[in-house]
Amino acid sequence: MTDKKDHLGKITVSQHAIATVAYQSALESYGVVGMADKDIVSGLSKLLFKDPAAGVTVNFDGDSVTIDMYIVVEYGTRISSVASSVANNVKFQVEKVIGIPVKSVNVHVRGLHVSNAD
Amino acid sequence: MNSSNPEGTYLTKSVLEVNGQKLKSLFNAALIWVKVNQQRINSLNVFPVPDGDTGTNMFLTMQSAYQEVAQSNDNNAGRVMRTIAQGALMGARGNSGVILSQLLRGFARALDEKEQIDAPLLIKCLTEARNTAYKGVVRPVEGTILTVAKDIANYAETSLTDTNNLVQILEAIVKEADRSVKRTPELLPILKQAGVVDSGGIGLFFLLEGMLRFVKKMPLDETGVEKHAQIVPIADLEILDNAIEPGQDFEVVVDFVPNSPINIETLYTDLAKIGTSIQIGEGDSMYRMHIHVPRNNQYMPINYIDKIGTVQKVYIENLIEQMRKKGTINTQNSSIKIKEGQIAVVAVSPGEGISKIFYSLGVAAIIPGGQTMNPSTKEILDAFENLPTDKIIILPNNENIILTAESTIPMSKKKVAVIPAISVPQGLIACLRFDPEGDYESVIKEMTESLGEVETGEITTATRSVQINGVDVKKGEVIALHNGKLVDSSKNLTIASMNLLDKIGAEKKEHITIFYGSGLKESQVNKIIQPIKAKYTEQEIEIHNGGQPHYQLIIAVE
Repeated sequence: MTDKKDHLGKITVSQHAIATVAYQSALESYGVVGMADKDIVSGLSKLLFKDPAAGVTVNFDGDSVTIDMYIVVEYGTRISSVASSVANNVKFQVEKVIGIPVKSVNVHVRGLHVSNAD
Repeated sequence: MNSSNPEGTYLTKSVLEVNGQKLKSLFNAALIWVKVNQQRINSLNVFPVPDGDTGTNMFLTMQSAYQEVAQSNDNNAGRVMRTIAQGALMGARGNSGVILSQLLRGFARALDEKEQIDAPLLIKCLTEARNTAYKGVVRPVEGTILTVAKDIANYAETSLTDTNNLVQILEAIVKEADRSVKRTPELLPILKQAGVVDSGGIGLFFLLEGMLRFVKKMPLDETGVEKHAQIVPIADLEILDNAIEPGQDFEVVVDFVPNSPINIETLYTDLAKIGTSIQIGEGDSMYRMHIHVPRNNQYMPINYIDKIGTVQKVYIENLIEQMRKKGTINTQNSSIKIKEGQIAVVAVSPGEGISKIFYSLGVAAIIPGGQTMNPSTKEILDAFENLPTDKIIILPNNENIILTAESTIPMSKKKVAVIPAISVPQGLIACLRFDPEGDYESVIKEMTESLGEVETGEITTATRSVQINGVDVKKGEVIALHNGKLVDSSKNLTIASMNLLDKIGAEKKEHITIFYGSGLKESQVNKIIQPIKAKYTEQEIEIHNGGQPHYQLIIAVE
């Protein structure tokens, strides 16, 4: 939970809420075809989790948050570019929607999804 | 890259097939056109992230793609396309670059190993490009480059199947791309709020339009770019007093009330005939026009505005005078005028005094930089892109800057050569061989050969204790380098410079030129110089204030 003081009272945002925002923005990032379970390395069998918390961890660090994303990337894309655009996208969306500064976004590429082998 | 269009002739009115080499030329045209429109694409970004500079990212991705085939003579369209797609993948930058690389990959896959592209195959390729790109994302955001790629493919599938003329198809898909780009604000609300179209989408449009312009033998440089005309609030007018272009000596600002609603496009077109850096601002029932004009033209904008409205206030400033007062232009600089067709040298210089000497030797532009302050590719490019010649020679004057300097070669349409000067003395000696009127290739050869004729000595302070080349260095000691190699470490400057000159073998040479750094006072310099003058009586010794940081002394011995 993270708290923000408003002039009327406290606003509390849960990790789960932040994770949901991060999850949505990751899925809109080009090159990301799914989220992987953070505990299992072979994420391929479990593409597209319904629960956003499965592929996202959120940790509070003072007034800011650190987010870890476990993603599956489309085979044939430049993975480093995809990963950095996920990090940018997640940071931008979380800061915009929730209003909490994001200290860092760590992107873990847990698998590749092959639509077409060349 | 080459902006000329020598092969444009082969694609006449009716083209039924395109082979590998023609495909390569088309790609080169697309690359050039994206590059020319790069800033325009960048200016449309609405997201601060993740794609801060879509135009640049798309250009760099395209460049990496084209580089893979630049030397290829393969006539097989399929193989050329596959190599292009591979290059795009390796160099994909940013979101739009990744999507572009996927589009190219899909296109290449449908093409397979086919020798030629014909109309049915082209449509199949566009379809596969769309399908591949859409496989790369779970939730495609519409109103982006993806949408434009989809619209093109859908249009080709439904409306372009009854022609086998590739030129006709290309023309039709460029038009559809344009319509699709214009629809993007309806699909993506954030674009509409910002009043722009999608940057990646328009990037794809320029890519295709570049190919079409090539086919139609239209110019692929700035002359083909529409003037980016817009009105901004007066408060947003940027008075760019650093952006002085040669010959644009006066800044003229006119406040006016127009007689009738102004047509911004006409206004821009008319003003562009008079000067540069045109900006139009809008305020409370009045407009403000800002322009840079050459001497003798300074009253023309006022007369022009007077015809279309009531002039309220006029402000004229002599920019050259203003810059001179600020000391940002020194006289040598402004007196150098490169004529068309001449060779221009740009040099990296670590200090004010050294810059002056470079200018006096005929260098057209200086890029500030040196040890621990390496200039970027862009800074080097900016130094020469506006010079009125297409023959450029770069003097990096530092080992660490040579690669950066070389990276500008493929990025510029001009002929660019880098003389591998690793020190200021080498740069200076090369300048002595420089002939602006000479034959480009032989001037480069002469300048490069001259590098060995000077010995470079450098004196600086050790930042850490270390042992190199058998020399024991303690942190804080004065160290001496001969042609970049450590040769001595001493307690003080005087001893270090004497030892250095000894190692260089200065007694057998004729000239010793010493540039002292910004950290030294004149009294200190005199103290160092005295024993040198006493010992090297046969040699001509010159002392200059180089103004460089880090190096107390830079010494040239010839």
